[in-house]
Amino acid sequence: MTWWRALIDGGAVPASYVPPPSAGASPRDAADRLAAADVVEDAELEAHAVPDRRPASIPPAVSFLNGMERWSVVAYDGVAQIVNAYVAAAVCRRDARGVLRATLERSRAFAIAPMDRVSPALRPLLEQAAPDIEPVDGELVGQPARYLEQVESTVRRARSHLERELAEACIDTLGADEWLVLDGLLSRSPAVARHPRALGVIKSHGAQFLEGRGLERALTLPAGYRTSVFAVRGGHTRTEVYSWYLRLWPWEGNDLLYGLLRVEARADRETVTRASALSGWLWAERAPLATPATRWDRLLYPLHHVEEYLKARAPRSPAGRSRLPVA
Amino acid sequence: MIDTAIPIAIGRVVATELKPATPHQFHFWTPTDTTIGIGAIVKVGAGSQEPGDGRVVYGVVTEGFAYSDLATPLHDVVGAEGDPARADEAPTARQQIRYWTAAVLRQTPEEPLQPVPLGQVYVADDADVAQALRMDAFLYSATPTAIPVGLYTSAGRDAPVYLDADFLLGPEAAHLNISGVSGLATKTSAVEFLLASIFAHFPAHKGRVAALCFNVKGPDLCFLDQPGDLSEEDRHRYDRLGVPSTPFQRVRLYAPLKADGVNLNTLRTHPELVGDVEPLTWGLQEVVDYAEVLLNRDDIDAKADAFIDFLRDRVLGRSFDDGFGTTHRVQTFADLDRLFRSIFDGLEIQSGGRSGSDTWRTHHIATIRKVRNRLLNISTRCKGLVTDDGPSSDLPWNGFEDRTVYVIDIANVDPLGQDLVFARVVSRLREQLERRELGVDAVVVFVDELNKYAPGDGPETYVKKMLLDISERGRYLGLVLFGAEQFRSQVHRRVVGNAGTQLFGRMDMDELATPGYQVLTPATKSKLATLPIGELMVRHPHFTQPIFVRFPKPPVLRGRDGVERFPPAADVPFEDAVVRHLVRLDRRVRPNQVKDLIADREPDDVRRALAAARRTRPDDVFAYFRKVLGARVSADADIPAEHHTVPPLNPISDEPY
Repeated sequence: MTWWRALIDGGAVPASYVPPPSAGASPRDAADRLAAADVVEDAELEAHAVPDRRPASIPPAVSFLNGMERWSVVAYDGVAQIVNAYVAAAVCRRDARGVLRATLERSRAFAIAPMDRVSPALRPLLEQAAPDIEPVDGELVGQPARYLEQVESTVRRARSHLERELAEACIDTLGADEWLVLDGLLSRSPAVARHPRALGVIKSHGAQFLEGRGLERALTLPAGYRTSVFAVRGGHTRTEVYSWYLRLWPWEGNDLLYGLLRVEARADRETVTRASALSGWLWAERAPLATPATRWDRLLYPLHHVEEYLKARAPRSPAGRSRLPVA
Repeated sequence: MIDTAIPIAIGRVVATELKPATPHQFHFWTPTDTTIGIGAIVKVGAGSQEPGDGRVVYGVVTEGFAYSDLATPLHDVVGAEGDPARADEAPTARQQIRYWTAAVLRQTPEEPLQPVPLGQVYVADDADVAQALRMDAFLYSATPTAIPVGLYTSAGRDAPVYLDADFLLGPEAAHLNISGVSGLATKTSAVEFLLASIFAHFPAHKGRVAALCFNVKGPDLCFLDQPGDLSEEDRHRYDRLGVPSTPFQRVRLYAPLKADGVNLNTLRTHPELVGDVEPLTWGLQEVVDYAEVLLNRDDIDAKADAFIDFLRDRVLGRSFDDGFGTTHRVQTFADLDRLFRSIFDGLEIQSGGRSGSDTWRTHHIATIRKVRNRLLNISTRCKGLVTDDGPSSDLPWNGFEDRTVYVIDIANVDPLGQDLVFARVVSRLREQLERRELGVDAVVVFVDELNKYAPGDGPETYVKKMLLDISERGRYLGLVLFGAEQFRSQVHRRVVGNAGTQLFGRMDMDELATPGYQVLTPATKSKLATLPIGELMVRHPHFTQPIFVRFPKPPVLRGRDGVERFPPAADVPFEDAVVRHLVRLDRRVRPNQVKDLIADREPDDVRRALAAARRTRPDDVFAYFRKVLGARVSADADIPAEHHTVPPLNPISDEPY
């Protein structure tokens, strides 16, 4: 029996609310809206053609890290919403045949509840039934929409923590020529951000690093081009990293962000030297397409694979059932 | 041998609302580098090492699918930028699945019958194969009736597959039909192996068994007593199946004579082997008994039938007055022709050249002419098989031996003669089995080119009716038909439908498109269309699904190899051939004596004496031969010359009489 079933048996009202899927920009990058950047490669931001994709430019061994989160409201105690959350992250290593196999994996299933607002009758039940509870502030219980934003933030934080832990574990085991490519910011972990063979691939562009002509050049990059390398500081980034934009697919006919990636790598002169080669590699990762993911134009297939792997292994969502009224 | 150590799961049953598991079918996935394929036998359920096994399901893989997470082919085009060569440059391989459909062979417990559980899938071991194919009932019983048919092979492992003798040779079911394209050494080889297997495993409590094979093309079955070349792999298969890898120990080969009446009409005429070939020659009585074979459907009207009956009952072998003053004793075709001429002459004289007198003993002259034409036609077309001298050499109808193959080589005989041989031999077998006087309890009759003898369409010939009769009633008598053909769809439905066991070699795609193969999945059809030599698909009453097996190369010399190793000898001169026949009967016969004796003698006289010697098999062959041949007659003696041949009135005319 699940922990929320015990809660419902104890008097809580059953619920089945699942937040709608994110439509585009990842909330993770919301804190990066204002960030400073210094161009470190050219005098000003330029567009550079990346070398044609060649198998030789692709490292023989690469590990890909991605995570997933899933949460849903499963019970009400009055208007207090009790949430079941699940976060997971995994690393899949690509072998010589191009086959991805999971090498590291972590997950966490937990309850989110405003413990100070849970009724005295249900609180011991919850504490007894749920092995892992993430308490949240009960002040927003009366404002359900804002409360759910708080829940989402809590889940996101748990996921980021898991990903950071896994990334740090992964770089400890990386082979001599092996690279780590992770979905999202590289700079969350100083150890990872300073690793010479770690790349962060960001497909949401909530943070704006450029302005003026540089911004225009970045947003109108032709397919197969990258910008000059710039140093990223500020925002919630704790460690400086070097970054550049890379266009995987032509944006004309779609939108400015179509096929546009931002790549993060170690803040080192070597990164500037290797930016074109690394861009050629990532450009080669356009194929196979990461369909049917909606953001396949920016999602690398191996990262999509890790996400699908995690989804397949995640416990079935309790709210996946019909939302018809309960008799 | 299949390893029976700790089983390792090779797949897992999955079921969705669209593709659920049912009591008769289930789906499972395996790693992409799996060793199983279409035809593999698998087991679903807890591993045999685990205590408290519940429901166990055995299935055979009937269909396979592979697909990736590619949403639409267009995405692959986009990813490769329209260049197929660049598709291989993609650094990551798409996630793929190997997804299989299996048909349930057996469930334990059998009741209540339930959908297949969603469990682990294992490769079947020896015991599993026996269970899956329900062979345990006849393999491990007190009186086992298992006949090995081949090895089920999967992933480098093998397990023997057995047929139930009660369902292969009667009485529960019987008959075997084998189909396959020509030239792949499958049909004949499979039957040869199966006969060897039957001889080795036919249960003692079922009595004695023999086989009779009609060799209808080339030298196919002419060297069954000679060892062939076997590979180590084949010998291993023989060991696994418990069948000796040696040629047949007892083979009796029969062949008609050529038109010269002394040389054998077979490809087994090499001096080292020809001595083992018995001549097969028949006379007038045998032909008239099966006159229906010689007449097509249009011919057999009531009038002709009545006249043939008249000849059979009142004339043959008796003293008979033709009504025109001549007494006949008709024992040969020459005697018969004399009778006919006497009748025609008598009617001519009677009418005095006028029209009007056209009946004899109530039979119209046209009917008499028609029957004469047909009967005498056979003596011309099948000269060598049909002789003027009565039955000189025939099969041992009262003394068939246990575990013996009787081969009748009619490959070079006129089709009409083939029909005659087939009809008479099968009829005699049936008669003798009915009387329990054949010497064995069961006879396997192997007929190749079944679509020729029992076609699905065309006229109702005597031979076809006979095959239908064997198919439908033979199992009660122990008369078992092993038929082979290239296109099963062209054989009469009742003949193939009554075959309890059916084997399929490599099949033509057009044939597989016919309705008879609708029950097979596209994957099974595809496998059938590409089956390698030595592999068969088997259907048997105990098997709920077709099973693929591999059988070893027969331990006998193939026909083509036989004629290379033992090239047929050229026909020997008449005198030498006579000497050879006599020496074969009695090794004391001195060739020069024979040659001196038959010099300047009429060949027909010599043939007649030789036939008598063969028929009588006296102690002193030469003395008997000389006695029958009679004293030398002066060449200029005023004695009418013997009638040499009996030409039909108009043998090649379409004129109905």
